[in-house]
Amino acid sequence: MRRSAKRALPLPMLIVTALLLSACGSSSNNGGGSAATADDGAGGHRGGTLTVLTSQDIASLDPGITYQSLDLNVLASTVRTLYTYAPTDAATLVPDLAVGPPQVSGDGKTLTVRIRRGVSFGPPVNREVTASDVKYAIERGFNPNVANAYASTYYGDVVGADRADGGPIAGIEIPDDHTLVFRLTRPTASLLAQSTVLPLSAPVPPEYAKPLDAKAPSQYASHLISSGPYMIPADSDGKVLGEGYAPGRSLTLVRNPNWRAATDHRPAYVDEVVFRIGGSPTVYGRQAFAGRGLVLADPPTPALVKKAYQEARDQIFFSPGAGTRYAALNTAIPPFDDANVRKAVAAALDREQMRRVRGGAVIGDIASHFLYPGVQGFEEAGGLEGTGVDFLVHPEGDRALAARYMKAAGYPDGRYTGDETIQVVGLAGAPDSNDAQIFDQTLKDLGFKTNLKIVGSDVMYGRFCGVPRARVHACPNVGWIRDFADPQTVLNLPFNGNYIFPENNPNWPQLNDPAINRAMARGELVVGEQARARAWAQIDRMVTATAAAIPWLYDRQPNLFAADVRCVPELWNQGHCDFAYTSLK
Amino acid sequence: MSVGAPGLLAHEERYERDFAGGVARSPWQLFWRRLRADRVALAALTVIVALILVALLAPLVVKLAGAPGPNVQDRNATDMFGTPLGPNGAHWFGVDPLGRDVFSRTIYGARIALLVGIVGTGVAVLVGVTVGLLAGYYRGWVDTLLSRFVDVVLSFPVLLLGIGIASACSLGSGCVGGAVSPGVRTVILVVVLVTWTSIARVVRGQVLSLREREFVVAARSLGASNRRIVTREILPNLTAPVIVYSSLLLPQTILLEAALSFLGVGVSPPTASWGWMIADASDTFDTQWWYMVFPGAALLLTVLAFNLLGDGLRDALDPRADR
Repeated sequence: MRRSAKRALPLPMLIVTALLLSACGSSSNNGGGSAATADDGAGGHRGGTLTVLTSQDIASLDPGITYQSLDLNVLASTVRTLYTYAPTDAATLVPDLAVGPPQVSGDGKTLTVRIRRGVSFGPPVNREVTASDVKYAIERGFNPNVANAYASTYYGDVVGADRADGGPIAGIEIPDDHTLVFRLTRPTASLLAQSTVLPLSAPVPPEYAKPLDAKAPSQYASHLISSGPYMIPADSDGKVLGEGYAPGRSLTLVRNPNWRAATDHRPAYVDEVVFRIGGSPTVYGRQAFAGRGLVLADPPTPALVKKAYQEARDQIFFSPGAGTRYAALNTAIPPFDDANVRKAVAAALDREQMRRVRGGAVIGDIASHFLYPGVQGFEEAGGLEGTGVDFLVHPEGDRALAARYMKAAGYPDGRYTGDETIQVVGLAGAPDSNDAQIFDQTLKDLGFKTNLKIVGSDVMYGRFCGVPRARVHACPNVGWIRDFADPQTVLNLPFNGNYIFPENNPNWPQLNDPAINRAMARGELVVGEQARARAWAQIDRMVTATAAAIPWLYDRQPNLFAADVRCVPELWNQGHCDFAYTSLK
Repeated sequence: MSVGAPGLLAHEERYERDFAGGVARSPWQLFWRRLRADRVALAALTVIVALILVALLAPLVVKLAGAPGPNVQDRNATDMFGTPLGPNGAHWFGVDPLGRDVFSRTIYGARIALLVGIVGTGVAVLVGVTVGLLAGYYRGWVDTLLSRFVDVVLSFPVLLLGIGIASACSLGSGCVGGAVSPGVRTVILVVVLVTWTSIARVVRGQVLSLREREFVVAARSLGASNRRIVTREILPNLTAPVIVYSSLLLPQTILLEAALSFLGVGVSPPTASWGWMIADASDTFDTQWWYMVFPGAALLLTVLAFNLLGDGLRDALDPRADR
């Protein structure tokens, strides 16, 4: 749970989005998003090699560890989770390794999942996948050598999970080879079912992985055993490191000989996917735009987005619902412990300019609360119009209102006259560093003395924004992406007062409002999609009203690919091309 | 520099020039005569004086040019995709992605470059001369200790050391108990740390030879104190080499500042720094050339001017030096 800050934007990570319709709906408001539309890929051409260009390397191939967008993109076509999302529908659970919908008991404390027959592990394991492989996969998430970041968040209510250390968990039962039963201490079974879209529920063969998991850290990432349509070439022992995967250089996916198309909804058109890792994002962007069979895994530069948007709209896809970006104000220390000062900053911030330096309206809608387009509860919380708080009504900033809030905070001339120097920690690299500078200038215009530090994302989260004792006043470049289609995954960790940790703290504003904490505790147990949407929309309104964080952008992630690639974007994962659906024209 | 007249060797020509007419001149008069004859050095000096004036009067220069201040963000100077405008009537050097005037930022960037260059070199010279004097004059264990220390410092890869210190000092309230706060002071500290050694070595060598010269021996035999010998006899004789070396060190420190800022461990934004601007522009150079070209040209011009002046000073102060 504590490592969830890793999932913060802009580390590229998993997203889940709503139906494509919402993308078209929002695009009509601002002219954005009318580029390539999400394609389900049906009837694609078989064969060929797809080449993926990525400046950043894979973080981990281990389904028990992976929590980053690029890795999820790889695992989506190499392993099979219990449930998944179709590429073009990021809200509806689709059985993958499971058969049929998840069965939740009347009291919400038992979840039963039937496992599909006829799914086999790739070489060298070469046997059928059973329920015990999924049970082991989840249990190993609690092994300190694996240390899954979200296991305790979503599987924490399973009976015995509180004491789990990698050994058997009593609350995960396997009455037969093809049935899994989860027994829970609280009525959260439907949330658990949704969380199985995350790769922790992908099967891991215990007889093969246990010796690897005994090492610290686990070596299973170097030996990923496939259960999906593709596998990574490996030596006879199944080791992929140095065979199909050369860290920092390349990764290759080839067809898994044990995969049976009849058991899967994935068409798996291309024969091979080759990742070229570690080049310059600018150069890679240009290559992908002009080349053949190429897909860019990095976000394209604003200049390239503009070029593609103007010259080749069918080569760029703007994925809706790629998270909310916001500026966190530290509510624990002066001067931002005063809500009026925070509201003054929120009122003054030019969010239009914050978006403009990232590429303008095509790359997202201006945010006015935290649940974002495509997340259940977004409309209930006010949609694109916002929750109605006056300090977020004007996207271009309202200096007069800001001055009024400063006066209300006890600064008669409407400007800050205290002697705090505001520590602002922003993210290095354009366009993030530009957003940090816009925010910094806003503070200066309000009379604050500031000290702006521009650092890499690991340092920003790991040493400053996620560490309360660092006493950072403002973090303008933070953001959050949901784990799956439930509003709780957007609001709970970043704004719950119970999740303020001394290290890796995901509650960057250190918001600890008893009323909000209570509402979240109730919200966790609410059952039913509509009811949960309403409950969490109300929490969203409460969080927004505190001005502890200033939402400024609902990301629409641009994804670029060559003209001959028929990209099927994973709407649930920032719109990356899904290799198991994408084909070459 | 100058090509000798037929039949005259270069040093004979200088002799002719310096002593023509048989009028006795002080060393400084001679120096000025020689420097004046070096057109390249004079041009460099003019550029440097102009640069210093521009840096000192940056707000006035920007105002006279009708440009906005260096931190004024103008959203209307970028298009709807956030692409900045190129050079035009309102913004002579175009704008950066934040809509800030590149002309104005280039002018203000001169302040940081010259501040770090002059203060950094000044402190490095002070430290280097002190260490070199002590080591050369006292010899023995003082020399051994100081010289080995210089060797140790010299054995560090300069840029890596700089990046390490700059990163350490740019977090929190700085380092050395807050005395070195993040920003310009940190950059100056790094510059001093990595450059004082070369001065120390040169000075030590000079002092080793000077302390054996007749006038020093004479002063010592007259009972002059060490302090007097060092300050009155030796130090004045170090002026020429120190001026030459520091003028050649200065452009290096300016480049070092740019390098540190380029690597993101120098002066923090929004303070305008040429190194930062060049780094920031490198992603978009293919479409927004002006953002890199103007600060790059300013950096090139400044470093070139200081280097040429340094060469000129060396020729003028030390005519025997073989180039």
